[in-house]
Amino acid sequence: MVGVLLLVKIGWRNLWRNPRGTLLTALALGLGLTLLLISLGLLDGSHEQLVRNAVRFGTGHVVIQAQGYQDTGSLELLLPAQVVSTTGEFMHGEAMKHVLRGMSPRLLASGLLSSAANASGVSMMGVNPKEERAVSLIPQRIVEGNYLNDDQQSGVVIGAELARKLAVKVGGKVVLMTQAVQAPATEATDADEGEMQSTLLRVNGIFRTGIQAIDAHVIHLPLPEAQGLLGVPDRVNQVAVLLEREGDSLMVARSLRKQLTGLPVEVLTWRESMPTLAQSFVLDEAFNYVMNGVVLAMVGLGILNTILMRVLERRYEFGLCSAMGLRPVQLAVMVIGESLALTAISLALGLVLGLGAQHYFATAGLDLRWFFKSSLPSALVFDPVIYSRLSVARIASSVSTVFLTATAISFYPALKAARTELPGALRVF
Amino acid sequence: MAAIGFGYAMLLFVACLMAGLRQQMVESGTDLVLSDAEVHAPSYYPDRPINQTLGGRDGTDVSALVAAIAADARVEAASPRVYGYGLVSAAHQSAGAQLLGVVPAQEQKITVLQRRMVKGSYLTGRIPKGVVMGDKLATTIGVEVGSEIVLLTPATDGSTGNDLYTVVGMFHTGLDAMDRDLVLMSIASLQDLLRLSPGRIHEVGIKLHDNDFTAATKTAAALETQLSKSFPVRVRAWPELVPELADYVQFNRRVTFILFLIFFLLAVMGIVNTTLMAIVARTRELGMLLAVGMRPVQLVGLIVAEAAILAGGSLVLGAALGSPVLWYLQIHGLYLGGSRGAISLGGVVVGPLWYGRQDFAAYTQAALGLAVTAVVSALYPALRAARFRPTEALRKV
Amino acid sequence: MRWQKGSVAICLALIWVSLGQVSQAADDQRAREIVDGVARLFVSQSSIATVEMQVTKEELQRKITMQFWSVGETNILIRVRSPQEDAGTAILKTGGKIWYYLPKANRTVKIPASMMMSPWMGSDFTLNDLVKQSRLTNDYVIATSFDGERDGVALSEYTLTPKPSAVVVWGKITLEVRHADHMPVRQRYYDEDGKLVRELTFSEYKTVSGRLIPTRLVMRPTGQTVEQTTITYEKIIFGESISAETFSRKNLKQ
Repeated sequence: MVGVLLLVKIGWRNLWRNPRGTLLTALALGLGLTLLLISLGLLDGSHEQLVRNAVRFGTGHVVIQAQGYQDTGSLELLLPAQVVSTTGEFMHGEAMKHVLRGMSPRLLASGLLSSAANASGVSMMGVNPKEERAVSLIPQRIVEGNYLNDDQQSGVVIGAELARKLAVKVGGKVVLMTQAVQAPATEATDADEGEMQSTLLRVNGIFRTGIQAIDAHVIHLPLPEAQGLLGVPDRVNQVAVLLEREGDSLMVARSLRKQLTGLPVEVLTWRESMPTLAQSFVLDEAFNYVMNGVVLAMVGLGILNTILMRVLERRYEFGLCSAMGLRPVQLAVMVIGESLALTAISLALGLVLGLGAQHYFATAGLDLRWFFKSSLPSALVFDPVIYSRLSVARIASSVSTVFLTATAISFYPALKAARTELPGALRVF
Repeated sequence: MAAIGFGYAMLLFVACLMAGLRQQMVESGTDLVLSDAEVHAPSYYPDRPINQTLGGRDGTDVSALVAAIAADARVEAASPRVYGYGLVSAAHQSAGAQLLGVVPAQEQKITVLQRRMVKGSYLTGRIPKGVVMGDKLATTIGVEVGSEIVLLTPATDGSTGNDLYTVVGMFHTGLDAMDRDLVLMSIASLQDLLRLSPGRIHEVGIKLHDNDFTAATKTAAALETQLSKSFPVRVRAWPELVPELADYVQFNRRVTFILFLIFFLLAVMGIVNTTLMAIVARTRELGMLLAVGMRPVQLVGLIVAEAAILAGGSLVLGAALGSPVLWYLQIHGLYLGGSRGAISLGGVVVGPLWYGRQDFAAYTQAALGLAVTAVVSALYPALRAARFRPTEALRKV
Repeated sequence: MRWQKGSVAICLALIWVSLGQVSQAADDQRAREIVDGVARLFVSQSSIATVEMQVTKEELQRKITMQFWSVGETNILIRVRSPQEDAGTAILKTGGKIWYYLPKANRTVKIPASMMMSPWMGSDFTLNDLVKQSRLTNDYVIATSFDGERDGVALSEYTLTPKPSAVVVWGKITLEVRHADHMPVRQRYYDEDGKLVRELTFSEYKTVSGRLIPTRLVMRPTGQTVEQTTITYEKIIFGESISAETFSRKNLKQ
């Protein structure tokens, strides 16, 4: 009775009878894992990138607003004063600072921007330039002039479409007119309107995002100036939070809600504050799932193929073993042992290569412009470089899935080996 | 053989899904109001001055124009539109809104806003001065289905156009810009309000059969050339109208291309492996052939030819296996079910079907690639086999 | 969009604002007095006027006749008499709010502040200016730039340069005033690059209720040979008392 351990040892040794062949096979299998890791990294990374680009034109991954603001957009709904400081402290604290990429308090309102030549309705955003730079993409899309300086008191940054319509250049004069925040309306009376306020601004910079709605309507000005104009000193109506990873959105939102319990605020993830964006990504996410499945299937098949081949070509050897007294079960165990060993080596190789490649893509990124020189839109809205993202969870699940698949698959060839028929297997021709 | 066949089938599957994905992505961005392409007078877009109508101030034969566009084989449907911007006023509140005048029957062929109704109904011919508006707008001014509203807008003759209308329905798209800002009405009633004669419209919206990035742009250019023979026009396809969507689609396209490459590599590896093994397994047989007198060159030729035939056969097999799946994907789609996880989409129903779309270019490329790979991967071992010493080969067991 | 040319209320605001913006500064005392006099030409305790406005654009010509009542700068009522399609339309500005009465729909509509600020209402000359113009003072530095004769008329030209903090879009404004009677002849608006944006011409001076005023004003955007708006005061009475009732919403509907 040959012990299981001995069988496994024999199995191991079998592998090394043909070291070159074995290594090549292991490499081939390992590459499967490598490619799996690379593709997962790129898929996750590109998804991350897409979401981040999109939310940077909007309200970030997580947004805090006064309760009901999402539905009504009413100017009366301001955030209670302590929200900004509480959020700031929390997000910059030990627990959260590694998931945070930036947060920006903002005051949003609509107004009329006039120049000597024309006037246009605008969505104004009072911002803190330093913080806004970490959240919004607009500061990075300046085409003329500069974005607001950190301690700038007065100035405005407008979109290229708006600049064209108003026929203003950097340094030009514009007048911003808006309505100060007023008392809320009641059922019986009409809303009592606040006073109209206006202020002179000089165009500090002009941006171009490529998105018509933004380039024609959005303006940024220093937060204190906006607060003064609207008559709400030290208040804001939105805090936008940008994270390192989209996957943390839910967790951060939940934590913030806990931190801000009792206050009349709403903490929303980007899926809730920008539902159409979430909808457009549903397909993208479903795609990820399906693609993962396909890659796994292909890798699984590769494994099956390889191991099967190994067994089929060693009929003679198995015949010999069988003739010498090894029972079918033991043959099977031997084959499985071999497979496991082979898989282990492959996984090791694959992991090393995969993580190496992934690290390269995570730092240097994959510049998509390489691939599609033709048919590029003139104004690139999104950042064309993807950074690979691979979470430990993903790596673990990939490795274990490949391992399990390999093991499961090796049962079939093991079975075939066990059923080696004598004396057929011994026949040389 | 199975390796190649199956590998090819997988590639077909992936290519089909990717093409379908691209099309659905575009649709989700254009099917509410935008449509695939738009025809305007040259100075109309983007500022939309209301007097810049197609065909100039005298307008044009609208139905003839729309028919001429729809007659093009690449166009699925076309619909005329008129735009305005004005004040929507109810008993206690008013708000500014964009006014869009359409021909309901034709409009529904190019966009799907009618599927987003939450109260009342879409525009029918029954109430000529009926309007449909976004639910958020309705809430802001405090109206319900059946309420009366006043629309106030500057007309083309300089007067202030105003009239009474009835709210017949409300929609919810999830897009703030529409739910808060859009009022839909019949084209005739908006033309009346703006003092435009019936022959004057601002835009023809077009839905194309193929909304692929390059195809749409080419079709738009062709239409522009064709229509410009009657009067100056600009035809813009969606990549020009929403470059951010075009960017997103292109981004996605590139990523999926890379993935496709990876799959291809996997398939290739499988093939190389198999071919290698197959030849190694035939060492004795090959040695025999050499011993019997076949020349090395002939041996190589034999192996390569075999590989080519095998590849060809496998590809055909793979295509045969794959075709029913591809057909199914195109017609019935892939049911995504619960694979999307916990995503609340604010009341918007998302179709759980992922439709595939045939991408014959990709299919052919994949086939060629695999065939070449199979042949090339046979080459190395073939060359090695050619150098066998017959006696050694025969001895191998 | 150039809606200021088409909208009734806007053109009236045009008169108010263009003159109301002109105000004093430290530099030239005499110049300041004269310019101030021009600014106050149409300002009074009360006025009732019949006005004809002619709008000319390349594709249309419109003549609108209206009546307006005003008390100071805070209460204004305008009733359109002709043309037929606009007859009966009335605009009431009171207490910082603006109401529109639409005879065709038989409805009174409140123009929300946001609407006054939305793009289609156009440039500085919006309904909104009616509300805020009373706060525009001390915005310009005045200097005399010309003194002599032009086109046979002895006049002085004053150049008004906005103070750095003044909330105005103009680079500068020039005003030509006749020596003889201190009547304005021409007012020009320039952007910051020194480009002429529009020109307002005054003519047909008449004495009304003891005041000498120009009764014909023509506003023309530069570069336009055809586009212009002409306002003619057919009749104007200053100082007559107007009841508060006039500026009520009920009165709007008649």
